[in-house]
Amino acid sequence: MIRLALPKGRIREAALVAFGVAGVEVDKLDPETRALSTKLNGGEVEVLFLKDWDLPLYVERGIADCGVVGSDVLGEVDGDLLVPARLRDGACHFSLIGKSHDLPKAGEQARLATKYPKTARRMLAERSWGAEILELSGSVELAPMLDLADLAFDIVQTGRTLRENGLIEVEVLDVIHPCLVVHRAAYQRHRAVLNAWVAKLEAAELVL
Amino acid sequence: MRISTGLPIGVTALLFGAAGRRKSLEDALVGRLVGNDYSEVVLPILDYAEPYEALLSPASRGELYRFVDRDGEVLALRSDFTPLLARLIAPRLGGLSLPLRLFYRGDVVRWAEERAGRLRESYQVGAELLGEDGEAAEAEVLRLFLDLLASTGVPRPAVIVGFAGALDELLLSAGAGSTSGAADLAAAVARRERSAVRRLGGSTALLEVVDRGIPDDPAALGKAGERLARCVETVAALSGLHPEVAIGVDLAEFAQLTVDPHLGTSDSSQRSYYDGLVFRGYAGAGGIEIGGGGRYNRLFDQLGVDLPAVGFTLGLDGLTSVAPAAAAGARQETST
Repeated sequence: MIRLALPKGRIREAALVAFGVAGVEVDKLDPETRALSTKLNGGEVEVLFLKDWDLPLYVERGIADCGVVGSDVLGEVDGDLLVPARLRDGACHFSLIGKSHDLPKAGEQARLATKYPKTARRMLAERSWGAEILELSGSVELAPMLDLADLAFDIVQTGRTLRENGLIEVEVLDVIHPCLVVHRAAYQRHRAVLNAWVAKLEAAELVL
Repeated sequence: MRISTGLPIGVTALLFGAAGRRKSLEDALVGRLVGNDYSEVVLPILDYAEPYEALLSPASRGELYRFVDRDGEVLALRSDFTPLLARLIAPRLGGLSLPLRLFYRGDVVRWAEERAGRLRESYQVGAELLGEDGEAAEAEVLRLFLDLLASTGVPRPAVIVGFAGALDELLLSAGAGSTSGAADLAAAVARRERSAVRRLGGSTALLEVVDRGIPDDPAALGKAGERLARCVETVAALSGLHPEVAIGVDLAEFAQLTVDPHLGTSDSSQRSYYDGLVFRGYAGAGGIEIGGGGRYNRLFDQLGVDLPAVGFTLGLDGLTSVAPAAAAGARQETST
């Protein structure tokens, strides 16, 4: 049996589509169920539903053999995981968000609100301006809106929230994709199954 | 004044039964090392930072705990036994009879991100065979690693074997002379991302390595092809010794462990001093990494000494967490 962790959040739909194509009977999942795990494919696959930010730890610790998590989350956790596929669907991107089109000038120090402090630090390392990072757990867009920060560094999908709140994508940055992540030892045990899944995703042009 | 009873991040104390369990396991492993004619060396936990740092990989240097003592010396806490032992052995070789079979035990201290299961202070038992080159020495050490792992009775033990530089020719030829392209390709192979390997110009042989761990035709590896054939033979010969230990060759696991200086790597999990056979062990239902090792002649080269060396370490914290409670004690009895 292979234990597959699927995300509850933003990329859940892309993950379900992908594993449906891969041959996992995700169509048998009851969308109304509150069960935390379900066995599919005659018990050969056990699906766990986890919060996006918790999922890498479950795979890293070998509780789940594999899972799907966004590259935004992966960039923040220092996990030693294999990433055999990145999905095309469910993509979004990082952006710098503010009230005006202006970025800080060279040498200036700004206040930057984000849920992604490590990724933000990597981004800042290539800038001529610096920033104090204000780590928030949600509604990051509020920070520049209410002057808690000069800019927000966050993921943007459609940009609707920004538009409705008078905010601007000052700069569009890295694209984020859902990633299939696999535990190293589990990969050795389930190599044939995992390779078959990835081959089906490739054939359906669902991976980058 | 209230005194804090907490411990720093990544540090744990073993009290009562937990301490006994680890000690039983340690004694059993040490008993087997002594039984295989390995002699114990006791190494300091403090060293001067400067010479010690020079022998560590860039990633390991970043994990080092350093401080200035009252004499103004910059000291470091031991983060890796192997470079420390190499530095102490190298100047004394003239008076030593080779080969040397040595083992050690103790704590290593490395910074690690705060995360479940990550320890900053961990306990290791390790063994080194110094002064014997060739694959027989590598097979001896790998066999000892398997013997020790099997003796612990841990569930689902597994060992993955490869060798440093196995993919160098394939990576450089695919990278078309671009060293950054070759390093990107090595990273894609290491994470088993077939589509990226294809996109970066990886050959069919590299895709076979991603899929199955080795190419269908060892000759595809160029000069490393013969080495692969011998590596596969070694693993086949050892695989019957402990049927409960799954052992296999997977070159992708060590794709970023290169010997070609043009192929950089940024993977912090790789220890740059390995230059031959390399292996990594896992155990438990969760497949936790419990140790590994390999050949590291390059480390002695850095010290200006021509001394073949191969060895391994086992992490006692991980092993104890997955070893059956009764097994360590029972196996200690059988080994003494």
